[in-house]
Amino acid sequence: MNLILDIFPYAIAYTMPLLAAALGGLYSERSGVVNIGLEGLMVMGMFVSAITIAAFEPAIAVWTLARCQARGIDIVASPAEYQAIFNHFHAMVLWIGVLAGTLGATIFSLLHAFASVTLKANQVISGTAINMIAGAITVFLARTISGSGNISIKLGFLRGDVPVLSKIPLLGRLFFSQTYATTWLVLLILVVSWLLIYRTPFGLRLRSCGEHPQTADAAGINVYRVRYIAVMLSGAMAGLAGSVMLVTYAGEFTGSVAGMGFLALAALIFGQWKPLGILGATFFFGIAATIANVAPGIPRLSSIPEWILRIFPYVVTLVALMLFSKTSQAPRASGEAFDKGKR
Amino acid sequence: MKSKILVLMVLVALVAAFTACGGSDSNTKKIGMVTDAGTIDDKSFNQGTWEGIVRAETELGIEKKYLKPSGTTTADYVREIANLYDAGYRFIVTPGFKFEQAIFEAQSRFPEARFVLLDGVPHAGDYNVVMGANTVSISFAEHQSGFLAGVATALQLQSGAVGFVGGMEIPPVQRFNWGFQQGVAYANANLGTTVTMDAQDVIYQGTFSDVAAGQQLAITMFDRGVKAIFAAAGGVGVGVINEAKARASQGQEIWVVGVDVDQFNDGIYSGTSSVILTSAMKRVDSAAFEMIRAHLENRFPGGQFMTMDATNNGIGIPAENPNLRPEVQAQIQDILAKLKSGTLTVSPEQGGLIK
Repeated sequence: MNLILDIFPYAIAYTMPLLAAALGGLYSERSGVVNIGLEGLMVMGMFVSAITIAAFEPAIAVWTLARCQARGIDIVASPAEYQAIFNHFHAMVLWIGVLAGTLGATIFSLLHAFASVTLKANQVISGTAINMIAGAITVFLARTISGSGNISIKLGFLRGDVPVLSKIPLLGRLFFSQTYATTWLVLLILVVSWLLIYRTPFGLRLRSCGEHPQTADAAGINVYRVRYIAVMLSGAMAGLAGSVMLVTYAGEFTGSVAGMGFLALAALIFGQWKPLGILGATFFFGIAATIANVAPGIPRLSSIPEWILRIFPYVVTLVALMLFSKTSQAPRASGEAFDKGKR
Repeated sequence: MKSKILVLMVLVALVAAFTACGGSDSNTKKIGMVTDAGTIDDKSFNQGTWEGIVRAETELGIEKKYLKPSGTTTADYVREIANLYDAGYRFIVTPGFKFEQAIFEAQSRFPEARFVLLDGVPHAGDYNVVMGANTVSISFAEHQSGFLAGVATALQLQSGAVGFVGGMEIPPVQRFNWGFQQGVAYANANLGTTVTMDAQDVIYQGTFSDVAAGQQLAITMFDRGVKAIFAAAGGVGVGVINEAKARASQGQEIWVVGVDVDQFNDGIYSGTSSVILTSAMKRVDSAAFEMIRAHLENRFPGGQFMTMDATNNGIGIPAENPNLRPEVQAQIQDILAKLKSGTLTVSPEQGGLIK
């Protein structure tokens, strides 16, 4: 039990990029566009975020010094104040990076939208193309810019306890201690997504485009527009996922996100295309992966062969997919290009 | 008329150039290198090797050139080796175990050339080692390097717990680990420190790339109160350093011991503060330099396996690191001298050590 308590905050941190990417997949698929390209969009988001942060990093110290001088703070006499101002600017730069990564992947996702909505191309092929292009172009650019294929950032977000709430017994320790600011952003987006999809006219239109686009069209909805917006939201979320990975635990861009995009797709299916289902599925992955990662250092777990712990989440997913496939609730028009002329 | 003279002059120049290339005497001084994955300034094997060659240029007057393969397959490596050979380079240095198969091919294809393979042994992909008479394969005494880092860590911390995170469980990484443990034990027994190392804090993650796992392992160790982690784990070590940087910038006193090269700069989190306490280095630069010197003095040990250790300055910790107290550095020099003279030995075997 103590073990779960100890690793819980870190499992949550590990879950967040997965959750963000899966939510991205949700928007896209709910509008009827399959998005295999989540992996590539994450890579793009991570890359843009990394070059942005790397570009701004040298400025942090300069800004900090300027602010210290403006306020008349002696940096030798009061290092704590210097550090506080430094942390402030540092967090600002990271947020700029996250924003840039989100925007970058959004723009990149327009390729997928253009191919699969406007040109009515096969969505799986278009998504695969996104994955291949993203992997190649980012590494090429990274090599051109930095000389090597990697772009590393000096320091990511710092974890912190939420004031007051982290003092609640048990719950405080599970959910409100050692959290990243980005975790709260992603959770906020989850809540907003739920409201958007189930409680707004836009959400209804989005879902109807994914279930029966011809009917939606007959009702006067611009299916193309809705699908474009959905794919862009999907790109934004995947880009956010890649950026969050970078600023929380990855710390450097190496040209890949190690299959997280595909794992997000699996979580989307496991979670039955529902926001709360996705939350459950991604968190399950997060905690299982964290246990597998830390197991070698925990005496009680190290007796279990490591490979069993490592394959555990994937095996459970396979079994669950087999069990639920009969009652699978995939959006009905998902994967079909919309053609106004067809009925 | 003028143009004819010009053509003639160019021709003469060309002929002269080619004859110059053909002379075997001048070829002796041409030292080539093929880079591994990454760039010449990768703060690791490529850079270290190149620095050794640059030093040979200033001290021994050689002519240097490096080529960067377009990929990291054996075919890419062999192509660049052939390019160097065609340009008259008969002494080629290759850093890293990825060159094992390329050197296996090259040593029989170019019997006139000499090859230095750092941290690897030539084989055809089946790990049956075939040493050509024109190849020297250099390995490093990682256990001695780890030992020095272990002693330095123990002396600096005086008390508390330390841990080890390794990449794959392969001999070089294991030797780092065993050496480090012996170093800590030596300091406890002879230098009055009380640093502990628990079995649960000695872990091989299993890859050299899983940054997230590296961070999570570091979290569990630091949460248990470990004060310093020796990370010999490539990308997994990056995760360990990331976690340490985050904690250090929140005021925690924790450290990471780097590996292979001086990783001080990788550990900088603010200004000039770094979480890298010291680094267990392999001196690829002096390996490359020594081999070039042996080559020029006609005592190239072709066909041999060489070990770089304390006696030939092949391993060590950085001479300068503000995180270590000056007296610790002085004590390390003493111990290095003892390793050199052989009065102190470090075992490259596990024995009774953890993992």
